[in-house]
Amino acid sequence: MFHVRGLARIYGEGTAAVTALAGVDFDLFRSELVVLLGASGSGKSTLLNQLGGLDSPTHGTLLYHGADLARFDEPALTRFRRDAVGFVFQAYNLIPSLTARENVALITEICRAPMAPAEALQLVGLGDRMDHFPAQLSGGEQQRVAIARAIAKRPEVLLCDEPTGALDVRTGITVLEAIERINRELGTLAVIITHNAILADMADRVFTLSDGRIVNERINARRGSVRDLAW
Amino acid sequence: MSLLDRKLLRDLAALKSQALAVALVMACGLAMMIMTRSLILSLETTRDTYYEHHRFAQVFARLKRAPNAVRDQLAAIPGVATVETGIAMQVTLDLPGLDLPAVGLLNSLPERGEAVLNRVYLRSGRLPLSPSTQYELAAGEAFAEAHGLKPGDPISAVLNGTKQTFRLSGIVLSPEFVFEAPPNSALPDNKTYGVFWMPYKELATAFQLYGAFNNVALTLAPGASEGDVIADADRLLAPYGGRGAYGRANHPSHRRLDDEIRVLTGLSIAFPLVFLSVAAFMTNSVMSRQVALQREQIAMLKACGFSNAQVGMHYFKFSFVIVLVGVGFGAIGGIFLGHQLVGLYHIFFRFPQLDFLLDSRVLVTASVVSSFAAFAGVAGAVRRAVRLPPAEAMRPEAPARYRPALLERLGATRWFSASFRMSLRNIERRPIRSALTCLALALATSILVVPSSFRDGVAYIIDFQWDVVQRQTVTLTLVEPGPARGVADFGHLPGVILAEPFRYVPVELRAGPVTRRLLLQGLPARGTLSRVIDAHPRQLTLPPRGIIISAKLATVLQVRPGDEVVAKVLEGEERELRVPVAGLAEDFTGIAAYMELPALNRLLLEGDRINGAHLTVAAGSWPEFLAAVKTTPRLAGCMIKNSVREGFRQTTAASVSLLQKIYMFFATVVAFGIIYNSARISLSERSRELATLRVLGFSRGEVGAVLVGELVLLTLLALPLGLVLGSFFASGIIRTLNTETVRLPLVLTAANYAFAVSVVAIASALSALFAARKLAAIDLVSALKALD
Ligand SMILES: Nc1ncnc2c1ncn2[C@@H]1O[C@H](COP(=O)(O)OP(=O)(O)OP(=O)(O)O)[C@@H](O)[C@H]1O
Ligand SMILES: [Mg+2]
Repeated sequence: MFHVRGLARIYGEGTAAVTALAGVDFDLFRSELVVLLGASGSGKSTLLNQLGGLDSPTHGTLLYHGADLARFDEPALTRFRRDAVGFVFQAYNLIPSLTARENVALITEICRAPMAPAEALQLVGLGDRMDHFPAQLSGGEQQRVAIARAIAKRPEVLLCDEPTGALDVRTGITVLEAIERINRELGTLAVIITHNAILADMADRVFTLSDGRIVNERINARRGSVRDLAW
Repeated sequence: MSLLDRKLLRDLAALKSQALAVALVMACGLAMMIMTRSLILSLETTRDTYYEHHRFAQVFARLKRAPNAVRDQLAAIPGVATVETGIAMQVTLDLPGLDLPAVGLLNSLPERGEAVLNRVYLRSGRLPLSPSTQYELAAGEAFAEAHGLKPGDPISAVLNGTKQTFRLSGIVLSPEFVFEAPPNSALPDNKTYGVFWMPYKELATAFQLYGAFNNVALTLAPGASEGDVIADADRLLAPYGGRGAYGRANHPSHRRLDDEIRVLTGLSIAFPLVFLSVAAFMTNSVMSRQVALQREQIAMLKACGFSNAQVGMHYFKFSFVIVLVGVGFGAIGGIFLGHQLVGLYHIFFRFPQLDFLLDSRVLVTASVVSSFAAFAGVAGAVRRAVRLPPAEAMRPEAPARYRPALLERLGATRWFSASFRMSLRNIERRPIRSALTCLALALATSILVVPSSFRDGVAYIIDFQWDVVQRQTVTLTLVEPGPARGVADFGHLPGVILAEPFRYVPVELRAGPVTRRLLLQGLPARGTLSRVIDAHPRQLTLPPRGIIISAKLATVLQVRPGDEVVAKVLEGEERELRVPVAGLAEDFTGIAAYMELPALNRLLLEGDRINGAHLTVAAGSWPEFLAAVKTTPRLAGCMIKNSVREGFRQTTAASVSLLQKIYMFFATVVAFGIIYNSARISLSERSRELATLRVLGFSRGEVGAVLVGELVLLTLLALPLGLVLGSFFASGIIRTLNTETVRLPLVLTAANYAFAVSVVAIASALSALFAARKLAAIDLVSALKALD
C-alpha cells in the first residue's frame, strides 16, 4: 500500500535545521498492524504525519498505491485524507460543542461510503453514550469517540499517535481493542505510535526509530491479542 | 443542517454576548445609514412628485412692473416652455393679539382658472374668491400654524398705505415655499413672516398694477439651456426694472431643501463609516480569538479531510450570522428612527404629505457594506485558520516568552506591586494585541466626542450669531431705499437708545464661472449693533474700499482677500461693480457680503440712502415701541432678534439636538460594546494563566488585579488618543455638514471630553467588574484542563 524510500524531513534551514527523518525505507501492506517505537524526538510523529498527508517530505519517495504523495497539491492531499485516512490523536481533538454522535457524523458527512455514526460508536463500545458532549465523557471514552470518528469513514489507513498516552492501563486496553478489531474486521492498515514496548506483541511488525532512522524491524510470526499482552 | 453548521450555532451560543456586542455596533451604523438614506429618499421623492404635480417653475424673476403683453414676449424666448406671470408684494400685517409687526408676501392667483406654474395645494378651507362682501386671502401653512389661524379668521394688512381687513379663506401650500423663510434669511421665522395668496384683481388694483405683473416663473423646453434663457429674460425685463432672473439653484426654498439633502448624504456616509470600521475591528478581535481557541479543532478538521475552503467558510459564516443580526436590528432601528425624524421635517419643510419611505436599496447596500466590513474583519483570522498546517496545529501554541517590562528594566520596579508588574508584562509581551485593545478603547472614546460637538457647535452659534454679531434689539426695514435722515426718525421712536443705518442691495456676486445672489450689506465702518466678525473672533472695520465676504462665500467663489469680484447690482439701473475682497467674515447661517455704507452709496452713485436701521430699544419702552412701529408708514419689515433666535432654538437647534441624542445613544452603545468585548477577550486569553496563579496560591483579588490593572493601564493610554481621534472625526464630519445655509463651527469643550472620558471609565469599570466576577466563577480544574 505504502512504498517508502529515502524519506527525509528537515525542519528549518541552515544551522537551525533539525533533521526529524533522515531517510527511511519500508513498505506497508493491507490488513497489517504496525507499531512504531522510539525515544521522544526520534521522529515517530513526523513519519506518521507524512503517511497521513499532513506534511510533505523534504526528500525521498512516498508512494501510496503507486501515486507519489510528495507531489500531491493541497486539494489532492485533502481528498486523500478525506477518503483514505483515519487519524487518532493523542489529544483526542474532539469538537467540544458537538455530541459524540455528532463528532462522528461531522466526518461521515463528507466522505463517500461511511458507516452510520451509531454503528461506529457501537464498534468502540460506546453505543449508550452517543448523545453526550465530550466534557461529559472520560478520557478513554473521548479517545474511543475519536477512534469511532476515524473508522466511521472505513479508511484504508488508520494512523494513531499515542492513542493510549493519556490513559490508564485498563482504559488503554479497551481503546487498543477497538483499533485491533477495526484492523481485523475491516482489513484496515493500522499504524500505532507508542512508548509502551509491550504493545509490540500485538503488532504484525514493529519498527524502532532513533534519530530519524529505522534502527530495527521486528516481525511477529504470530501476533498476540491485546488482552493477552503482559500488562 | 450540516454538523459543521450545528457546531457554528453552538459556538455562537457560547459566544452570544460578544457576538451580540459586535452585531449591535454594526446595527448602530446601519440604523443611521438606513435612517438617513431613507430620509433622503423620502425628501427627494416627495419633493419631485410635489414639484411635478404642482408645476414648480425652473426660472424665476422679479421686476418692478411690466404690462401683461410682455408675457407673450417671454413665452417667445427660445427654450421657454411655459410662462406664468403675476404679482408678489411684501406688506405689513396686523394680527389681532400679535404685538409685533409681521410681514406678509402677497402672491396673486390667476384671474381665471388654475395657475400654469407654482400651483398651490389647498390644505383646508378654499381658495380666496373675488369679493362678494369681504376681501379674502389664503395663508401659507407655516405662518397659519404659528398663529393658530383657521379659515374664517380675520387678518389685516397694510396695502399700499391703506389698512384692509381680510377673511382667511383657506390654508395652502406651494412648491415655491416648501421652506418658508423671509427673503435672504437662512432661518425660518414663521411668527413674523408669512406667505399669502389672493386674487390677482384685488392685489393688482391695490397697488395700481392692474394689467401688469412684477413676478415671473418659467419652465424650460427639454434640452434648453437655463443660462441662455436667463440671459434673454434679463435682457427683456431690464427696461421694466428686472432684478435678474435665476434658476432653481438660486431659489431659496429649493436651495434649502437641497442643502438638507446634502447634509443627510454626508451623515449617511460619515457615521456609518466610523461605526462599521469599529464593527469590522471587533469582528476581527472576536474571530482571531476564536481561531486561536480552536487551533486543535481546525487541525483535526483538516486532518480528517475538510478542505481549506470548507474550514474558511465555516469561520466566515460566524461573521455572516453577526451581519444578519446586525442588519436585522439596524433595519428595525433605522426604520423606527426614520419615522420619528420624518415628523421633525414638518417644522422646516411644508409638503402636502411627507411620509417615511424605506429606501429598499439601502437595505441591500447596508447588507453588502456590513458584510464587507465583517468579512474584512474576519478575513485575517480565517486566513490564519486556513494557513495553519494540520501537523503544526497539533502542537500546542508556543509558550509566550516573558521578560521584565520596560519600566522595570528602567529600575522603577520597587514601586509596583506584583500584580501591577504582571499587568505591565502582559501588555508588553503582546504589543500588537495591546495596541489593538488600546485602539479599540480610543475608538470608543472618539465616537463619544462627535455628537457632543454638534450640540456645542449649535450653542456656540446661538451665542455668536445673536450676541457677538447681532447686538441690536430689532431691525426695521423700509419698503424702498430712503434718504439717510430716516435714521433720525427711527431714533425718535419711543425707547430707542441707539440706531444704526444699513443699506441692503441685491447683487449677484461673480468670480470666474461661479455666481451667487445675496444682499450686499452697507454698514457703518465699525458699528456697534450689527458687527462683522472674523474667525478669531474680532470685530472687523469695514475699509473705505473693498468688500468683506463670508469665509464660506470665498470658498464657493474660490477667491481670497486681494482678489477681485464682480457685483452685478440687481436693483434700479443695471450696473457691474468690480470690488476687491478686503477680508473674510465668520458666520454660520447663509452667506453674506459687507461694505462700508458711504463707500457703497458712492459706488451706487446714489447719495446717502438706506434700507433701514438696526435699533437698540430700552426694555421698559418695548410695548410703546411696538405700538409706534405698527403705525409707522413705509415699513417693510421688523425683525426682532430674540424671536429669530427663539425660532432657531426651536427648529434647527431642536433638530440637531435630537440627532445628537440619537447619535450619542449609538455612540454609548458602541463604546460599551467595544470595551466589553475587549475585556471578554483578555479574560479568555488569560483565564488559564490566571487560574494557574490561583492554584499557586494567589488570592482572587490579586488575580483580578492583574486583569483589571491591564485594562486600566490600557484605558489610561487610550483616553488621550481617543480624544485626539474624536476631535479629528468631529472636524471631518462637521466639514461634510458645512453648507451655504447652515454651518456648524467645530467647538470642542472640556465638558464634551469629560463626558466621553466618564462614559469610557464607567464602561471599563463595569466590564472589569464583570471580568472579575467571571474570574471568580472560573472552575480551576476545567480552566487548567481545557484550553478555553
Ligand atoms: N515544526 C517543527 N519545527 C522544528 N522541529 C520540529 C518540528 N516538528 C518536529 N520537530 C523536531 O523533529 C524531531 C522529531 O519530532 P517528532 O515530533 O517526530 O518526535 P516524536 O518521535 O513524535 O517524539 P515524541 O515521542 O516526544 O512525540 C524532534 O527533534 C522535534 O524537535
Ligand atoms: Mg510524537
